[in-house]
Amino acid sequence: MWKRTLILFSVLIVGALLLSACGTGAVETVVVEKEGETVVETVEVIVEVEPTPEPVTRTGAWLDTVIFVEEPSPDSAVTRILAGDLDVYAFSINEAPIAERIYAEEDLSYYTSYGSFNDITFNPVLELEDGSLNPFGDPQIREAMNMLIDRDYIVQEITGGMAVPRFVDVQLASADYARFADVIAEMSIKYANNPEKAEEIISGRMVELGAELVDGVWTYNGEPVEIVALIRIEDERLEIGDYVSGLLEDIGFTVTRDYKTSAEASTCWISSDPAGGCFNFYTGGWVSTTISLDEAGNFAIYYTPLGWGIPLWQAYDPSEEFLAVAEALLNGDFNTFEERSDLMRQVIPLSMEDSSRIWLFDAVGVATQRADISMAADLSGSTYGAALWPYTLKYEGQVGGEATIGMPSMMTQAWNPPAGSNWVYDMMPMRGAENHAVIADPFTGLRRPQLLESAVVYAQTGLPISKTLDWVDLVFEDEIVVPDDAWADWDAEAQVFITAAERFEEPAVAKTKVVMTYGPDFPGNVTWHDGSPFTLADMLYAWIYQFDPAKEASAIYDEGQVPGFTSFMTSFKGIRITSTDPVTIEYYTDAWALDAEDNISNFRALWMGTHRPALYGYGQAGWHNMVPSYLAEANGEMAYSDDKATALEVDQTNFLAGPTLEIMKVKLDEALADAYIPYEPTLGAYITADEAIARYENLKTWVERNGHMIVATGPFYIQKAFPVEKTIILQRNPLFPDLADKWAGFDEAPIPEVLLDGAGEVAIGDTATFDVFVDFKGEPYPAADMSMVTYLVFDATGALAMKGDAEAVEDGYYTITLDTSDLTAGSNKLAVIAVSKNALIPAQVEFEFVTTE
Amino acid sequence: MSDTTISVESSAPGIKNRGEVFNSFVRVARYTGIRLVVLFVTVVIGIYLVVLVANMGGYVDEIRRGAIREQISMQIYMSKDPQILQLSAEEKNQMVAEQVAIEEHRRGLDRPFIIRSFAFLQNAITLNLGFADDLVSDSGSKQVRLILLERLVPTLLMWGAGNLLLFFVGLFAGLFLSRRYGSFLDKIIIALAPTSSAPAWFYGLFLILIFAAVFRVLPFGGLVDAPPPESKILYALSVLEHLVLPTTAIFISTIALSIFNRRTFFLIYSQEDYVEMAKAKGVPDRLIERRYILKPTLPPILTDFLLVVIYLWTGAVILETVFNWPGLGRALYQAIGLYDTAVIVGAQVIFAYLLAATVFVLDFLYALVDPRVRIGEQGKRA
Repeated sequence: MWKRTLILFSVLIVGALLLSACGTGAVETVVVEKEGETVVETVEVIVEVEPTPEPVTRTGAWLDTVIFVEEPSPDSAVTRILAGDLDVYAFSINEAPIAERIYAEEDLSYYTSYGSFNDITFNPVLELEDGSLNPFGDPQIREAMNMLIDRDYIVQEITGGMAVPRFVDVQLASADYARFADVIAEMSIKYANNPEKAEEIISGRMVELGAELVDGVWTYNGEPVEIVALIRIEDERLEIGDYVSGLLEDIGFTVTRDYKTSAEASTCWISSDPAGGCFNFYTGGWVSTTISLDEAGNFAIYYTPLGWGIPLWQAYDPSEEFLAVAEALLNGDFNTFEERSDLMRQVIPLSMEDSSRIWLFDAVGVATQRADISMAADLSGSTYGAALWPYTLKYEGQVGGEATIGMPSMMTQAWNPPAGSNWVYDMMPMRGAENHAVIADPFTGLRRPQLLESAVVYAQTGLPISKTLDWVDLVFEDEIVVPDDAWADWDAEAQVFITAAERFEEPAVAKTKVVMTYGPDFPGNVTWHDGSPFTLADMLYAWIYQFDPAKEASAIYDEGQVPGFTSFMTSFKGIRITSTDPVTIEYYTDAWALDAEDNISNFRALWMGTHRPALYGYGQAGWHNMVPSYLAEANGEMAYSDDKATALEVDQTNFLAGPTLEIMKVKLDEALADAYIPYEPTLGAYITADEAIARYENLKTWVERNGHMIVATGPFYIQKAFPVEKTIILQRNPLFPDLADKWAGFDEAPIPEVLLDGAGEVAIGDTATFDVFVDFKGEPYPAADMSMVTYLVFDATGALAMKGDAEAVEDGYYTITLDTSDLTAGSNKLAVIAVSKNALIPAQVEFEFVTTE
Repeated sequence: MSDTTISVESSAPGIKNRGEVFNSFVRVARYTGIRLVVLFVTVVIGIYLVVLVANMGGYVDEIRRGAIREQISMQIYMSKDPQILQLSAEEKNQMVAEQVAIEEHRRGLDRPFIIRSFAFLQNAITLNLGFADDLVSDSGSKQVRLILLERLVPTLLMWGAGNLLLFFVGLFAGLFLSRRYGSFLDKIIIALAPTSSAPAWFYGLFLILIFAAVFRVLPFGGLVDAPPPESKILYALSVLEHLVLPTTAIFISTIALSIFNRRTFFLIYSQEDYVEMAKAKGVPDRLIERRYILKPTLPPILTDFLLVVIYLWTGAVILETVFNWPGLGRALYQAIGLYDTAVIVGAQVIFAYLLAATVFVLDFLYALVDPRVRIGEQGKRA
């Protein structure tokens, strides 16, 4: 009894101490075990109570003001952030010394992205016009070049660690890299740097091709085998070109280095016949600003004549097997996702055997900001490419405030929604002012709903489309008939839509139908920055614009629009509004994408204004602020597209500044005086004269106050732009309806971190067990959120010995059990690849273990 | 300057009758006409050479064709647009070919360069600067006139402030030192002269580091604060504040050498016999400087001054980049990188006209400031 009392007293004392320390407590019934007895007692224990977060009431953007300024130098930008002169530098920094500085500074945080990649493009013609031998016309020599080049050296020494080695034609920030990470890892080990093996293969093939090694120099018909290296000089490709040239010289080739800028080089590798031999290899570079959801077509595009219709591509001569598989992937000639996966697993090794180009690395870019600032950053497009930046940019623990964002360039080209600037530097401030129907997830690329509430994708049975997110439904149907009353074309003369019944002689069918339903408050909850209400007429104007400039009868006909429009019409079948409460739109097309979510935002749907309402290719605009530019273009005073403006020798329409703005002001006055209704035979049913006048007056007031015509519906509005001073000021839009925390949780990519542990030595025949720990920021990664934890085992010869999936034990913990009977004695490599469903960048670790007899 | 068109008389002109005045007028008019024609022909030849060089004898057309094909090919062959993806290879090729043809036609690349080169020349001579190929002005226009004009004001501000300060300080400090040859100050200037071997941007980097990054008393760069002040006075003050570092960089990068050069130049004149005579007669130093040294050296000083003024037109690439200054130098550098011949030719045309005008004006200014110089063909060099 005494002991019990003592223990109870002790528990109470400890509880009291903790209570006094924490200031919060609760009475709870606990089970106390004492000397084999179990006693139920009531004691006061400490419960950590997390403070209830204040409900967020702020709408729109977290910040009050965002100022964009030009800062061309990344080094200077970092210094300016540290000095408090800038808050964010929204561009990828690829220079290793600057990145090191960023990593080392406590006052800076950063986001990593993987949007650009480099290759060596080979001339595939074996015997050139002058009779000389081009070694890279031989596939085995090209394949061996994979092993001659040390990608790790390039990554570490040339890029200073600002890259990830790349072997196959699948972008790192892509869904397919995650899907086929195991095959890709296999290729990276098979084709790892092995200069002796590479030289052996190359020498063997050179002899077979009739070349001779004379005094260490390869000769053909008595002449040295000359390699012309077409080397780009603007970036690290200069050093890469020199490095590869040096490797080739080391094994006996005579290399001529031809250093060129982009424009100069294009006359050779793009315009000339490769048989002419102006280059043997070219240091290529490519950029992607979005996470790719489908890389299947890449192999046909990069390795076969099906890719580009230019002389170099037409000289590609892939094997029949490779061409057939690549073409099937390009054309979507598969019925299930599994069939596609099988084709992908075939095409990856075949592309390595072909090696018309060999991939070197995915560049790593770093965008930096003050440590107390967070925002969404796209894994491919970084902060400047993330559509979510205006919704997520904030100071830690603070509502409101001002941030200054530096960019390398600003207002690079004229801004106009139909055909204006698409420079990344301009798109970022532009995105701040836009609203969207759907927004791309910055970590997976899948579209998530913004103004849309739900969507149903109807797909023809047999199409390998799948869905991931709950807000989309996917339905397969044997036949999708386009309704007769759907709008399928545009009569530019009569200014009315042509229905499907009028366009098609027989009832048309489509491969997909997408039904998009907006939220119940739409469009009443959306207001233009100038105060005008958003209406369906704004969407309809954007739809009309999709057709009108490509029609000869149009007042704004632009022949440059015709080829693109023609291709659009081959798949577009119709569009119609089936309900106005809630607003529901059906879109019929033969074009489709693998992910159901991607079908909602496919390119033409975007143009048709369903992705971002009343959004054109390069910005958002209401019908009323399209009218002045329409009238001016119809009068030949300016043009939306740069090409048409060049041909007419007029200025390209610029809504932001410059001489065209003055012309548009005059046209606005004319439209106001005439109560002008655009495309009246169609839009007259949606716009009244009074509404037109009210809108034009709103726009006039807006232009007088802000000095530009960019009027959109996003969380920020553009208050002022200073073109010469290179400054744009964005202010929070108080009319934006969504709560500021709607997109919370998208400020950091949940890329898993993997740790692999196990025995370093195993006797052949024994079972070897390895532990795999998958975490994110120290917390176990939920198993349900992982799409893959796969392992590969390479034996002592470097051959793939076995592969499989790790066994999930609990969240964040997996095991791999190997039967080592088939392994030979020596050093083996175990590689584990982990991919999350929530962030497409895979985590890969390797572990070496020895097998003994 | 042509020796045949300038005569220098050893004596001052006497009183002229009406006939002499008429003859003088005819002589000046004839001289002016011939001079203008010669300068115009020189400008035309110069501009046509610029047209040929800027277009690399027509090779730029090849580059532009390649760039157009690359750009359109990228857009179509690399497109992830499902609509384009489903097109056959032939359809894509046809689409590319059509767009390339449209684009080449729009840019005049379907006409031979030699024909277009004369159109370039005609437009340039008539100052019809036209439209740029790729470069846009800050306000988004492709009019070459606007591309150059929008950058002209900031360029004049920075280079004007820096170079005019440099010119006048160098002039008067040089004059001052030439009268104090061998003094302590003179020795300091001689010792500092090698510091001018470093360019302005080099000093600019240090100035930014010290005054912007460390002491944070002056801005890193740019034309004005962000956001720019709404009040015009505050705006002007902000521009002045932003001018301090680049102007200082220009000034300290060249001032020592400039003073040294001027001082050496004046030193030669200050040792002339008539200066020694004036000194011996007790003429005050200031009067000697002004009347006996400065006045005879005015023609070369005027030449220097006007050349400084017209060279402001060229800007400076690296200094403007270091200070993120929206000047002409960066615009021209961009134009060269883009092979934007319209902008390159446009800038050079204006420079050529400015240079020709300067040469023309200088002929008259020489006659005005130096009584020994007369315009026309009368007489030979003394």
